[in-house]
Amino acid sequence: MDVMPAIRVVDLRKNFGALEVLKGVSFDVHTGSVVSMIGASGSGKSTLLRCINFLETPSSGDIFIDGEPMGFRSDASGQRRLRPLSEVNLMRRELGMVFQQFNLWPHMTVLGNVIEAPIRVRGMSRKQAVALGEECLARVHLSEKAREYPARLSGGQQQRVAIARALAIQPKAMLFDEPTSSLDPELTDEVLSVMRELAGDGTTMIVVTHEMAFAREVSDRVLFLHNGLIEEEGPPEQVLGAPKSERCRQFLSKYLH
Amino acid sequence: MSNWERLVWNQQGVLLQGLGVTVEVCLIAFAVAITGGLTLCLIRTYFPPLRFAAIVLIEFFRATPIFVQLVWIAYVWPELFGWPNSFFTAGWLALGLQSSGYLAETFRAGIEGVARGHREAGYSVGMSPLLVFQRIVMPQAVLTVSPSIVNQFTVIVKSSTLISVITVQDLMFQAMKLVNVWYEPIEILTVTAGIYIVMVFLVSTAGKMLADLLRRRYGLAAA
Ligand SMILES: Nc1ncnc2c1ncn2[C@@H]1O[C@H](COP(=O)(O)OP(=O)(O)O)[C@@H](O)[C@H]1O
Ligand SMILES: [Mg+2]
Repeated sequence: MDVMPAIRVVDLRKNFGALEVLKGVSFDVHTGSVVSMIGASGSGKSTLLRCINFLETPSSGDIFIDGEPMGFRSDASGQRRLRPLSEVNLMRRELGMVFQQFNLWPHMTVLGNVIEAPIRVRGMSRKQAVALGEECLARVHLSEKAREYPARLSGGQQQRVAIARALAIQPKAMLFDEPTSSLDPELTDEVLSVMRELAGDGTTMIVVTHEMAFAREVSDRVLFLHNGLIEEEGPPEQVLGAPKSERCRQFLSKYLH
Repeated sequence: MSNWERLVWNQQGVLLQGLGVTVEVCLIAFAVAITGGLTLCLIRTYFPPLRFAAIVLIEFFRATPIFVQLVWIAYVWPELFGWPNSFFTAGWLALGLQSSGYLAETFRAGIEGVARGHREAGYSVGMSPLLVFQRIVMPQAVLTVSPSIVNQFTVIVKSSTLISVITVQDLMFQAMKLVNVWYEPIEILTVTAGIYIVMVFLVSTAGKMLADLLRRRYGLAAA
């Protein structure tokens, strides 16, 4: 029998008014695997990630987290209904999201950012949450910055705190939306190396990225998104090394000089 | 005996009494302004059924001259609503309501200024909209608008001089009373002006220090 994937996306569609951004996307992410998503700007990568944790409500299609339908649920008569927000909130904490712009809360310390959800959402005691938070900060190698405020950190450090904050909700999978795209080149490596370690620890991840070398190294599968559809998918050697689709080839030629 | 001694020093009891009333009225009005402003802003932003009513109130408080509002609340409200039952209450109420209209808009700007990404980061870790508002939006909004809040407090102090018109015995009222007794306005009014300047200076300096202290604590540039 098939093992239930950590994330299953089935025929996902999303439009903003008349603009159809996702046109029927389906894929699985198996537990412990890393899926990289590449594609031109505007192809719908962020929208796809945001739909998975319902920061955007999909227009149609299904998302399952460990087999549990996210966002929608069928009622007694088999009708699809939007889940109440309280349930969506509950399920969102199964997914750790890392944003391009870090989005740390500037009025809380680094540790405060990390333990906020464990305390307020998981209902942990402060002591438990601090222990967990320190553990998460150690995983991103920022233990010594726990008492700093985010504004005093470099971009790379801020993004690593954001990763620790997402890890602290102990999610089933991590979603990364271009985590290094707003960083200076010399700061991307420290973030990528943390992500490499996470992947090595068996963290389930979807990574939207333009770092092709990184994608090739850590991914189990690569998806190439084009105009709201998966144009090509497969193991990294194939998609990044010998793409079948002409569009994917063209896209990659801009990144592999 | 100099004029200063005769007209000001020897009358210090009366002036201080007036100052006490001024301080009291301003503090109550400030509390009303903060509470009212926040309430109006929250209704306007988050409670569509009453949004229109909130907008009307906000615009009304902002558009009416403080003098008109003061007299209207003091003389018309008791007829219409049977309240306020004293000019003192009418005084702080008018001052507080007018500022609540301005603060409602200030708070709204502060709330809208919080980056969407900060809210989304909250949702993404499973926080409810209420938690996101309490823990992420409101603290940041207060941080950014604190200088405007302080500024509004100085407006209240300055506008409060008008409540003497409805016979509230504040500093201005006592000063004018002394002037009308001695017919020697120079010293009394100069000192009174000085007291107002000091008050406004203290409020704005203390407010700015507090705001900068907060911002520095978070590693942000001074406002
Ligand atoms: N909230 C929104 N409202 C309207 N259009 C949007 C919204 N979010 C994204 N889009 C549009 O959807 C398309 C895909 O955007 P996005 O998912 O951000 O692409 P990518 O992340 O691949 O660059 C773009 O054309 C973008 O303008
Ligand atoms: Mg994007």
